[in-house]
Amino acid sequence: MANAFVAAFEILSFGAIIVLIVLGLGIIASMMGIFNFAQGEFVLLGAYITYLAYAKGLPIWAGMVAAPFVVGALGFVLEALIIRRFYAAPIVAMLGTYALGLIIREAVRGLIGGFYLTVPEPIGGSIDFGTIHISAWRFTIIVITLLVMAGCYLLLSRTSFGLRMRATLENPALARASGISTPLMYGATFAFGSALAGLAGALIVPVFSLYADLGLRFLIQGFVAVMVGGVGSFIGPVAGAGVIGTLSAALPWIMAPVVADVLVFVLAIVFIKFRPQGLIAGKGV
Amino acid sequence: MPKSMSVVREAIAGDEADDAMAERVAAGQAREQVKAGRKVLPIVEGVVLIAALVAPLVLQDYLTVFATRVIILALFALSFDLVWGYAGIMSFGQALFFGSAGYGVALLARDLDITNIFLVLPAGTLIGLAFALLLGGFLLLGRHPSSVIFVSLGTLTGSYAADRLARGWYYLGGQNGIPSIAPMSLGGYEFTEGPAFYYLVLGILVVVYLLCRFLVRSQFGLALAGLRENEQRIAFFGYKAQHLKAIIFAIGGAIAGLAGSLYAFHEGFVWPNMVGVVVSTQVVLYVLFGGSGTLIGAVIGTVIVEGVSFWLSDNYRDIWPIILGMLLLLVILFRPLGLISFVLGERERVGSFGAARKEKRNAP
Amino acid sequence: MFDRIQLSRRRFLSNLAFASGAVATGVGSWVVPAPWANAAEGPIKVGIATDLTGPIAYAGNADANVAKMVIKEINNSGGLLGRPLELYIEDTASNESVAVGNVRKLIQRDKVDMVLGGITSSMRNAIKDPIVARGKTLYIYPQLYEGKECTPYLFCTGPTPAQQCDEFIPWLIKNGGKKFALPSANYVWPHTLNVYARKVIEANGGEVVFEEYYPLDQVDFSATVNRIISNKVDVVFNTVIPPGVGPFFKQLYEAGFLKNGGRLACVYYDENTLNINQAAEIEGLASCLDYFKVLTKENPFDAKIQAAYEKDFPGNFLFAAGSAATGTYRGLKLWEAAVKEAGKIDRESVAAALDHAKIAEGPGGPAEMVPGKRHCKMKMYTAVAKGGNYEIVARSNGLVDPKEC
Repeated sequence: MANAFVAAFEILSFGAIIVLIVLGLGIIASMMGIFNFAQGEFVLLGAYITYLAYAKGLPIWAGMVAAPFVVGALGFVLEALIIRRFYAAPIVAMLGTYALGLIIREAVRGLIGGFYLTVPEPIGGSIDFGTIHISAWRFTIIVITLLVMAGCYLLLSRTSFGLRMRATLENPALARASGISTPLMYGATFAFGSALAGLAGALIVPVFSLYADLGLRFLIQGFVAVMVGGVGSFIGPVAGAGVIGTLSAALPWIMAPVVADVLVFVLAIVFIKFRPQGLIAGKGV
Repeated sequence: MPKSMSVVREAIAGDEADDAMAERVAAGQAREQVKAGRKVLPIVEGVVLIAALVAPLVLQDYLTVFATRVIILALFALSFDLVWGYAGIMSFGQALFFGSAGYGVALLARDLDITNIFLVLPAGTLIGLAFALLLGGFLLLGRHPSSVIFVSLGTLTGSYAADRLARGWYYLGGQNGIPSIAPMSLGGYEFTEGPAFYYLVLGILVVVYLLCRFLVRSQFGLALAGLRENEQRIAFFGYKAQHLKAIIFAIGGAIAGLAGSLYAFHEGFVWPNMVGVVVSTQVVLYVLFGGSGTLIGAVIGTVIVEGVSFWLSDNYRDIWPIILGMLLLLVILFRPLGLISFVLGERERVGSFGAARKEKRNAP
Repeated sequence: MFDRIQLSRRRFLSNLAFASGAVATGVGSWVVPAPWANAAEGPIKVGIATDLTGPIAYAGNADANVAKMVIKEINNSGGLLGRPLELYIEDTASNESVAVGNVRKLIQRDKVDMVLGGITSSMRNAIKDPIVARGKTLYIYPQLYEGKECTPYLFCTGPTPAQQCDEFIPWLIKNGGKKFALPSANYVWPHTLNVYARKVIEANGGEVVFEEYYPLDQVDFSATVNRIISNKVDVVFNTVIPPGVGPFFKQLYEAGFLKNGGRLACVYYDENTLNINQAAEIEGLASCLDYFKVLTKENPFDAKIQAAYEKDFPGNFLFAAGSAATGTYRGLKLWEAAVKEAGKIDRESVAAALDHAKIAEGPGGPAEMVPGKRHCKMKMYTAVAKGGNYEIVARSNGLVDPKEC
């Protein structure tokens, strides 16, 4: 029984991390139809900013709060300068964002020199229930993820900004005709997606340690999660992330880790083949 | 819009009666450009060939070894250009075929002691072909046509999954890969790195290149060009678009397999990165740089990217990947047709079919 | 003549300082030129191929530094066979493909007389072919590894499983417990080491509860940690390497493994890797190596090398045994002795002399090559991490046989 509880907790915490990363990817894919190959590197940037803050002697909390804002701002700038040109051709967008990601990744690699750097958790130690110990920090990540998801949902469904965003998502031409500035919406969306990735990076750096290839490993999982979940809605990518995250964390408990690794992807691709629209088709929140 | 119309018209016209109409349509457009464009491609190809033939004579030994590696990678890039530049399939996982063939021949050499060139190279090609048929069949065929995104993601995932598998499977050497592969042999002679290997690889590249040229100038190539420009229209004409795609994907896989087996024997080891995402996207880089849809563009792109990387890694080790990324971004933003578009006209990139034949007929 | 040597030495040292500065900032493949290039047969060229960048860069840079230190010392005392030594350093970048290309440069472009390097076994396997078989050059491998490397002209100067396990595992059983877990990275070193370790564990009355292999970049070990706790494992004989080892030890600590009396054991853990985790997370971790920095308190020679290293290379790349730094020192000194004995620099003569070379003083103690086996006898020490530092808890009786080939 205790085993099952610990297993469930670990699966949930890993799933939460994937959800954070995929949320940004999904929103960008749904809204603008481009798959942001640099999303993994935004995660890396979030992690790096957190590390920088810690290395300069600031409290880790400061770095974690700053990271989404900095990465979001960078996303906004990049969108205005570069991403904007790719909207017509999704394939070129993939390649362009890949090049962007390459630049960011190698820049960070140059800065941290190929090392694996650690950052202590802001909330360390474990929460004990009898013989069960669970990591306090990973519990915090789950809480924060739930809050972020709730916040996003409220933002999109209850605020006028969210309304405008949804309008642009469903019918860009009509939205423009109604006076909504679509370029601004796209910029805001990209910034928002990047900020989410930055937050994810900041939260996971105490768990995973910082290294230059951190982004790559989450990129593929993220893409597959978005496709499994379904592009075009808010819930879709979240569902996909949940499924992929759960599978990735759960399968190693019942089979060799290497087989589990591969199996998740094979299953995902087969699933997408037979249900191309993903789990949750349709647009909107 | 007009461009695809002309291609379709040529697709209908071909060798048959409406030559006159095709000529009038083509003439209505930049005929001068056609004539001028027709001449540049062979010149470019000729220059590259001569440079390649002369290279080992002027380069130091270890640079010849480097050049051999570049030629093998150019062969690999050719396979990708075929698949993307001519058929419009964005295969982000081309390394899957490249690396699997490499592993295959490495296992043949290690476990069965087979290194005869006439056995291992065909084996590698077949392995590439087989994997491409499997993956291509699954991704491309089916009741509904698959979206571009799905195919690219599917191939990317295939490459990534193969990487994880190779990394985890101890029989394949795990993360270490398979080192110390015996050299390719022919009777008693062993192919070790150096000018001999270089000319072997160059010869293979030339043969494959000519085959590809022949392929894309044939009826099949016409259909492919139509496929890339407007898939629906080609389907309406009765061509089975899915099957065409699967065929070219398989051919691309076979060529990648050939390149992979050569690479394995030249470098002397295979490792999981060879099937992975980084190599897959690197070949995309090569072709993007050089210019897709021209065949020679793939070769030029490989030579430039590898050459610049080599030079930069010597002098600016820390920042050369950043510079590479920036160059790539600039090319994507401002010159998406690649560097070759500086010398080659648009028409030449697609490949002139009906009009060219008309021209030949009219030549004095 | 005496004046000329003095002047040359001063000029050489200033060149070296400048070049060290250049390398410290990460400039690519480079050369330390020696000022006696007009010596009759030219300088003797030493090639170093190590991970200057990548996840093992903390070790690779230490090795490069040691090489610079030793070459400088040899050149200061008149070079080798009257010829100066020239150092050529190439980056293997923890990337086998890049490594092979760069090693080819050493062999074909720089035409070095000897190559020392490679840290992980996968790197050694990738570069040994271009060096030994195709390049026909002598190769010295300085790092602790899994054994079974018996290629001719390939000499190993780092500890082998026999040296690391024969006395270590009985100590672990006595000071930890009988139930062992073998969580491992999935590549050749852990696979082969575990075979040997299992034999020793079972021969001493221990039990292997489970043996598992993980992908190198796996960072989530919840399933493993759970298995360790629920099976009440006493000793975790770990062969997971960075980047996974940090999160693994952290997750193990959070699950209360150390609190319940468990012991961590990791045979590559040295002063460099201590910084990967917080001190509390690795309290009591035991390692068995040929050298620990704490030995400088009792051995004057160790104190001398350590001081010389830290003076020339202050910073984060520590002179430590798990990072092949001691193996590099030992390898270069043994090679120097062999060249002196052979009187020549060609591969056959040097290999023949290196086969039985000895040094009276080295890090951790003297060292002797075992004739015909191309492996090295050395003293071994068991140490335990306490509060972020190591404490020696056991030593070998004299030099330990590597029992290889």
